[in-house]
Amino acid sequence: MSNLTDVKNMSNAQKLRTFPGNRIVWHAVIVGVVWLLLLLLNNNIDPLYSSYLALVAMYATAMFGMTILVGFSGQVSLGNGALMAVGGYVFALTSMNWQTVPIFGWEWNAVWSMVFAGLGGILIGGIVGGLAARLKGPYLAGLTLGLAVGVPAITNRFPELLGGENGLMLTVPYPAGGYAASEIAGGAESGAETSDPNSDAGSDAGAAAGEDQYAELDLSEFDQGVDASTDPNATPATEDLLTEGDLLTLDDFSNGGDLGLESADPAVEPSVDPSVDAGLEPGQDPSGITDSFDTGFIIERWQASMAIAVACLVAFAALNLIRGRQGRVWKAVRDDPIAAAVVGISPSGSKVSAFVVSSLFAALAGAVFAQILSFVGPGAFSLGLSLSLLVGIVLGGRSSLLGAILGALIIVWLPELVDGLAGDRGWPDQITNNAPNLLYGLLVVAVVLAAPGGITGTVRSWIDKSRGKSRSPLS
Amino acid sequence: MTNFIDFLLGGFSNGAVIALMALALVMVWRSTRMVNFAQVGQAMFTTYIALTVQQSTGNWLLALAVAMGAGLILGIVVFFLVIRPVKNSDTTGAIIATFGVLIALQAGAGMVWGGDPEGFIPPVSNAGLEFAGRIWPVSLYDILVWVVTAALVIGLTLLFTKTSLGLSMRASAFNPEVARLSGVRVNRMLITGWAIAGATGAVGGVLIAPVSTISPNSFDILLVFAFTAAVIGGLDSLVGAVTFGIGTGLVISLVSGYTDASNAPVVALVLLALNLLLKPDGVFSHHGSRSV
Repeated sequence: MSNLTDVKNMSNAQKLRTFPGNRIVWHAVIVGVVWLLLLLLNNNIDPLYSSYLALVAMYATAMFGMTILVGFSGQVSLGNGALMAVGGYVFALTSMNWQTVPIFGWEWNAVWSMVFAGLGGILIGGIVGGLAARLKGPYLAGLTLGLAVGVPAITNRFPELLGGENGLMLTVPYPAGGYAASEIAGGAESGAETSDPNSDAGSDAGAAAGEDQYAELDLSEFDQGVDASTDPNATPATEDLLTEGDLLTLDDFSNGGDLGLESADPAVEPSVDPSVDAGLEPGQDPSGITDSFDTGFIIERWQASMAIAVACLVAFAALNLIRGRQGRVWKAVRDDPIAAAVVGISPSGSKVSAFVVSSLFAALAGAVFAQILSFVGPGAFSLGLSLSLLVGIVLGGRSSLLGAILGALIIVWLPELVDGLAGDRGWPDQITNNAPNLLYGLLVVAVVLAAPGGITGTVRSWIDKSRGKSRSPLS
Repeated sequence: MTNFIDFLLGGFSNGAVIALMALALVMVWRSTRMVNFAQVGQAMFTTYIALTVQQSTGNWLLALAVAMGAGLILGIVVFFLVIRPVKNSDTTGAIIATFGVLIALQAGAGMVWGGDPEGFIPPVSNAGLEFAGRIWPVSLYDILVWVVTAALVIGLTLLFTKTSLGLSMRASAFNPEVARLSGVRVNRMLITGWAIAGATGAVGGVLIAPVSTISPNSFDILLVFAFTAAVIGGLDSLVGAVTFGIGTGLVISLVSGYTDASNAPVVALVLLALNLLLKPDGVFSHHGSRSV
């Protein structure tokens, strides 16, 4: 659409899709709305379901990377579980050491640990991707299979540093500001945040007001809470809370809807319309802001909101990548590397970039996983994890992000479904424990044979067929 | 120096098993140009069958024969149900499908036999032999492993070089189109390749089971070793698979002996990465370099 008259003739929707700037705004709106809906959901369901939500968001984060790598770039990798291990271990190591010794006077911050985890993923992904770009098909799958088996084994090599077979327990840093927000500050904050992203006033006031309040669950809180803890008055309180937070989990289950709803952080998500936030504020339950702090903080909700935040940011990045120029480059190389090279695309560069992006996402997912489990260990990042990522995107649909989300849902939900069925029918453990994997294996084979596009690809080809268009289920 | 010799001798029987698995991978590659990542899953499954036979009859030879037969059948079943229906163009799908088979086989074995590792009683002593005043890291069982492996490799070599079936198989691996024009039933050769691969893998599984234990996932690491050996050997060379299978076993034994057994997968990974970097087509490959 180089011609100006072409542009004039386009509908608004076409313009949205054509101009990168508009497209980014559009994607931001989509992701922002989904984010808000998910937070709303998270705050209104049983905490047990919140923990599932956290897992789904974590798997989805890793599977977005798989979508790009397997679906768009056509490289079958089993190494993403290992790359999650990289992220998880970097997160654990930086947070464990940094929490005790501030670096250059900076207090530790979970977001920084996540950044380091991401950088670790990029580094390792770059190395593996550089190797991978020279390989194709089964060679790459075999190499990454070696990665999936070998990387967890490395933890045994350095038992002092990485904890060997037992892994590392980590103190999950709950947002200090979450405990500290007072009734007034809590109310003021949600207003203040939408108007001024840089304002720390809310959480500062909250930190001063004391620890016996409820939790604000938001990534921005996460930031500000730790900022607040640099305040000498607040620091001791933070340490108290870390231990008390663990005890809290036991008696929180009955207090379902007590949490305040936070808007998406405007600094991260510029497109979120403030009016949308305002509209949702009535959803905040004022009665939930109670005096006693043990009615407030629900660890599953906090974990879910953290995992959702990461998943949404990753989804936003992934959307922009795959629906922009880079996505077309990846597809071109996947479909015909020689033709792509002829038009000036570097096939190996494209493959490496897909690998790096997917390992960044995997590492972030690993960091989230470490926080959900409060633990990293070789058992958590086994070959089975890598395989389940592959299973998820194949079943959901390997060439769309929605497919990755569906895949994450299947991976988390199917074992629960089987558990429920087994409980009703009194199946022995031996059957119950293996039934999900048997189903995954058979379903993967069936999907590859009968519906290579997975759920999303198949549905899309039905829609296309009904409209009289034809398209490959994998495009 | 004695350590070195001990580690080297100790690595031979592992190497023999890796060579058998690598052989199975290579035979599948030669017949259908794909890596069967479910190969060790098939071997694991047939080893469990052999375990059941041995536990009920106490006859190791019968168990081995049953495992070979089961491997043969399983290879054919996987070929017909999964590999043949996958469209040739969808290489990504084919690779994923073999992993699907692997997952299903492991879960199936877990359902039938449980997830706990089980021991496989060796037919002859597994203790180190005493000779010339010291105990060597070689047992009667190790010698049995060598003999069985050697017999199988020699048998396969004879099959491929001296029989018309072997000639047809080599022809259809080398150039399916020309072979078909010359009257070779290429499809039948592909099935035969998968069947022989399944039986070879089954023998490898039965041989390794008494040395390690058997559980649904215990052969995963063997897949990495066998793939490493097969790729270094060029993926379509039987000689390469055997040579580098034994070589991989020796290297792993040395590394495990001098440092720690947990290093073995990392070493395999490094070997594989180096090979793919320096000589991606393998040492014994007949083919020229790939395009792009």
